[in-house]
Amino acid sequence: MTAVLRLGSAAERGGGRAEAVGDFAEFVRVSMPGLLRYGHALTGNPHDAADLVQAVLEKVGSRWVAVQRKGDDPLAYVRRAMANTHISIWRRRRRENLVADFPDSGAVEPELSRLENEPLWQALRALPPRQRAVIVLRYYENLSETEIADTLGISCGTVKSQTSKAMASLRTRLGKD
Amino acid sequence: MADDLDDELRRLFSDDRLDVHVSPEATDAVLRGADRRRRRRSAMATAVAVVTLVGAGIGLTQLPSSDDHWVGDLLPTSVPTSASSPPPSSSSSVVPTTTVIPSPPNPGGSNPGTGTGKPTSTKPRTTTPSAPPPAETAGVGALVLGMSEADALKTKTLVEPSSPADPEGKCVAYATTSVPDNNAVIISSAKGIVRLTVPSTAKTQRGIGVGSTVAEVKTAYPTAAQSGTELRVEMTGTPRWTYVFETDGSAVTSVRKRLSAGDCPGV
Repeated sequence: MTAVLRLGSAAERGGGRAEAVGDFAEFVRVSMPGLLRYGHALTGNPHDAADLVQAVLEKVGSRWVAVQRKGDDPLAYVRRAMANTHISIWRRRRRENLVADFPDSGAVEPELSRLENEPLWQALRALPPRQRAVIVLRYYENLSETEIADTLGISCGTVKSQTSKAMASLRTRLGKD
Repeated sequence: MADDLDDELRRLFSDDRLDVHVSPEATDAVLRGADRRRRRRSAMATAVAVVTLVGAGIGLTQLPSSDDHWVGDLLPTSVPTSASSPPPSSSSSVVPTTTVIPSPPNPGGSNPGTGTGKPTSTKPRTTTPSAPPPAETAGVGALVLGMSEADALKTKTLVEPSSPADPEGKCVAYATTSVPDNNAVIISSAKGIVRLTVPSTAKTQRGIGVGSTVAEVKTAYPTAAQSGTELRVEMTGTPRWTYVFETDGSAVTSVRKRLSAGDCPGV
């Protein structure tokens, strides 16, 4: 009886996989431009943005059904995963094999970033990853302190202090003190 | 001044120059990568299942015939309290030192409570099935609830790579060498291991495993509380933990141990 039930559910899983793959492909197609842009803001350069998006989407795609089953908005899920990956794992592991064979697809502009000559952009690039993420979530995503805390898994107090430090650092670098 | 910076930041983040050109191949590359990851996990899970089956077979052939050994040597657990004292040979109180008891493959058999029945036939026990729950430990094999990820990796029983178990990245999930499920073990960065899935071939000290009926669970664990399709049993000991028997409504489909103070969602 149990075996029959298991076989049934396995067949359902198999049948639903093709549908899930198609669904995920559509999600990637639609969300890729926005995610790359968001990744560019997070990482500070389009190369790392492309790698970050690729790595996170691969992970999410390999568990797409489970992600959907959680009931979260998949796009919000991916964005949160990108912010956290960027902060906690990305810098530590990018020399390893996160993106096994990321194609040299020309997905980035020849120059590092078209914003490279902007003083504010340069100042942002100099921030530690978490401070930068807090600023991006605040000013790019327009999230509240509570939402940022929830996204990054830190306290509101930490969000406030990180924001304060980041803004002070930006002002100093821009000579706005 | 602050408003100026606020405005500048907003202006910068809405600048078109933040756009990154999307290669037409980018989507396909992601799909290929995701598929590769999934297949790698599946292959690993299959290999683990085969190794588990072979291991179980070998283990069964080496089962001691004497009754009072509960296969503790086959599935060693890090039992903090009683592991060092060999069971006294003088008969009565049997204090098993392991939590799970692998059951032999049960071809066509549907009575999970008895297994093959071989080990239980020779010597009567003075303990009764309805006695208070024995001190089942919060471990499976070498893994113990609350153990840090670093320590867990040292046991060589986790199958890498891990995958994120929550969007915040606070928790990670692993398959193990005995449980091919990708969420077999979930580890919180703050609390250590918060979920341990018991191998499908194993049974609890009270004879409950995959295939046991809901009624059998309730008989073996009278304090079992229904929660959706799960039956949960709060266990004593430190750290506090809970048996979670997932069911399909009539029979157990998986058994796991859950740290009561865990902080990973959905564990």
